[in-house]
Amino acid sequence: MSAASEGQAAGQPTWRWTRSTLTFVILVALLLVSLAVSVCVGRYAVPVDRAIAIIWQSLHDPTAMPEAIDERIVWLVRVPRVILAVVCGAGLAISGAALQGVFRNPLVSPQVLGISQGAAFGGALAISAGIWGFPLLALVFVFGLSALALVGAIARIDGRTQIVTVILSGMVVGALFSAFVSLLQYFADPNSSLPAIVYWLLGSFATATWERVLIATPGIVVGLIVLWSLRFRLNVLSLDEAEAKSLGARPDLERWLIFAMVALVVGAQVAVSGIVGWIGLVIPHACRLIVGHDHRKLLPASALLGAAYLVTIDTLARTLTAAEIPLGVLTAIVGAPVFALLIRQHYREKGAG
Amino acid sequence: MNRAHVRRIAGAASILLALMPIGAHAQSISLTDQEGREIALEKPAERIVTIPMPMASGVIAIDGSADKLVGMNPLSLTALEEGILGRIFPNALSITDAVTGTDFVPNVEALAAADPDLVIQWGGRGPEIVDPILNAGLNAMLIVYGNEDNARTYMRNVATAIGKPERYEAHEAWREEVRQEIAEVTESLGEEERPNVLYMGRSLSDITANGAANSYQNWSIALAGGRNAAAELEGNQSINREQIAQWNPDVILLNSFEPELDVSWVYDDPILSLTKAAQDKRVYKMPLGGYRWDPPSQESPLTWMWLAELLHPDLFDFDLRAEMRDAYRTLYNYELTDADIDGIIWTSFQGDGFGYDQFAAK
Repeated sequence: MSAASEGQAAGQPTWRWTRSTLTFVILVALLLVSLAVSVCVGRYAVPVDRAIAIIWQSLHDPTAMPEAIDERIVWLVRVPRVILAVVCGAGLAISGAALQGVFRNPLVSPQVLGISQGAAFGGALAISAGIWGFPLLALVFVFGLSALALVGAIARIDGRTQIVTVILSGMVVGALFSAFVSLLQYFADPNSSLPAIVYWLLGSFATATWERVLIATPGIVVGLIVLWSLRFRLNVLSLDEAEAKSLGARPDLERWLIFAMVALVVGAQVAVSGIVGWIGLVIPHACRLIVGHDHRKLLPASALLGAAYLVTIDTLARTLTAAEIPLGVLTAIVGAPVFALLIRQHYREKGAG
Repeated sequence: MNRAHVRRIAGAASILLALMPIGAHAQSISLTDQEGREIALEKPAERIVTIPMPMASGVIAIDGSADKLVGMNPLSLTALEEGILGRIFPNALSITDAVTGTDFVPNVEALAAADPDLVIQWGGRGPEIVDPILNAGLNAMLIVYGNEDNARTYMRNVATAIGKPERYEAHEAWREEVRQEIAEVTESLGEEERPNVLYMGRSLSDITANGAANSYQNWSIALAGGRNAAAELEGNQSINREQIAQWNPDVILLNSFEPELDVSWVYDDPILSLTKAAQDKRVYKMPLGGYRWDPPSQESPLTWMWLAELLHPDLFDFDLRAEMRDAYRTLYNYELTDADIDGIIWTSFQGDGFGYDQFAAK
């Protein structure tokens, strides 16, 4: 709705108004359907009406400990897992969209810039030291942000930063932090901390609890709100430097604010569910095809579609077989071909235009 | 190569002439390992490095001392330190663990420094972990893990290599006797009489369970008269709590590998505490004796007796404490105290579990 009214305020033609309203209605519906399906299916058979009744009942008294096994499975296993998937999916997708705007490059994602690897190192360090919960989140965030700062420092040559040097620096820093993670794994206790690190790096929502929801959600929600409130500035930042300055932007300050928010979102996500790739790359691209390049629409659309996508993928990961399918495997299997198609589509349109 | 070959033929000829089997004074030893490789030793191995985890305690048990072990996997050393073997053989704790990483890649320099005449390594995992040993000019014996037959073969090979085949023959007789005694009772059990048993290979960071194929736990559970609740899995795979609730196992077995894990992990979990196993107090952590009781080892018959008594207390009447004392006397020449036994079978936190009263000290 808000995106729609902005469209009107910007004086866009009426048919665009209705079309983007319809788009957002569909995206919201997609998210709601994926949520509803996800809480109703699982390896433990709970009838749909029973699942809905359980959630309804628990919403009235959220702190009460449910007694029956189906109540506990729905309320203590599925619901927190679905919530985590929603906020992480939304956060990763909006981060990808914001970074791509800032760098004016559609190939940028938290992973390409080394943020994920830096965050992973922070987390692996915490696990090696036996630290969990909020301190782990803090370490993940600090290292995610320092990886990004390092990329910024390396890429800034003679006061200027070129996109290609940023991406190359990101790969360098990412490789460096990956090596640090390998080093930690080498020294980790193979019976306790090593499997914890390996499992956590693979990415999974299998260990979702309400506690983890409380750990991750505040950071991601703050990041989502700040990034969304910067949607106008992102439109300016995605112009070239001189143009942005002439429009009164302070590109450096705003860029760093966006970077910090991306590090916060990615850090919070990595802290609770390990590295989940591809979302920040594929979803913003898909959304650009649907709603165009305007960040006022792109950001909310990415958040909605990212949330729906990750919930769906995670539902598949936990229900297809008796064993959990690693999340990263599924996001890559779906993400890579879709991304390839999007690239072809993108450049074919460009060529035609 | 040639000289060794000649010597082997000469050795074989002299045996034929003497018309007697290889005695303790026979010098050269030749055997075929589980990858079909010929191994020729001029004399019984006296300095052995073990790279697979269970083999360090295996060599100690087969020899009856820690004197022949000169290097091992860091994880074998952890098991010695956590378990009772480090106390029985304190000198074993100072043996180097630098000869290999926990990924079984040998450190050739450290390996050469240990100066072994035999290096025991995993077979079936590619030449990358074997070639460095051979390139250093050392003898490698490859062992293959997986089932009881394999375990018996590699233990026999090790016993042959150190020149104590008779010690292994006695051990195998015991293994076979216990196996038959249990199988005679459990073979006739129908599907409904077999409790559903879930063995979790990992619990704390990620939950894993073993499917039916190529799993020693699956075999042990079947022998002891149970059914593997996770039989539908392929190999060792990650599972979630919801899946465990769906299987609703009658008995839950926790691994002995994770030091911080005990049965309260199940009893305190909102989902797992509602499984039949938790409700009936049938959650047990695998004991840690001379080695961990989950994989095959020299103590496997004790594992089978322990598990059979827990799955079918009415059908079996083993005196586990007496059996453990006998076994430890034979294997390690050590007199177990009641406190030792309580430590091995974790009486402190699972002594009040269903069926554990039969293991109580008298």
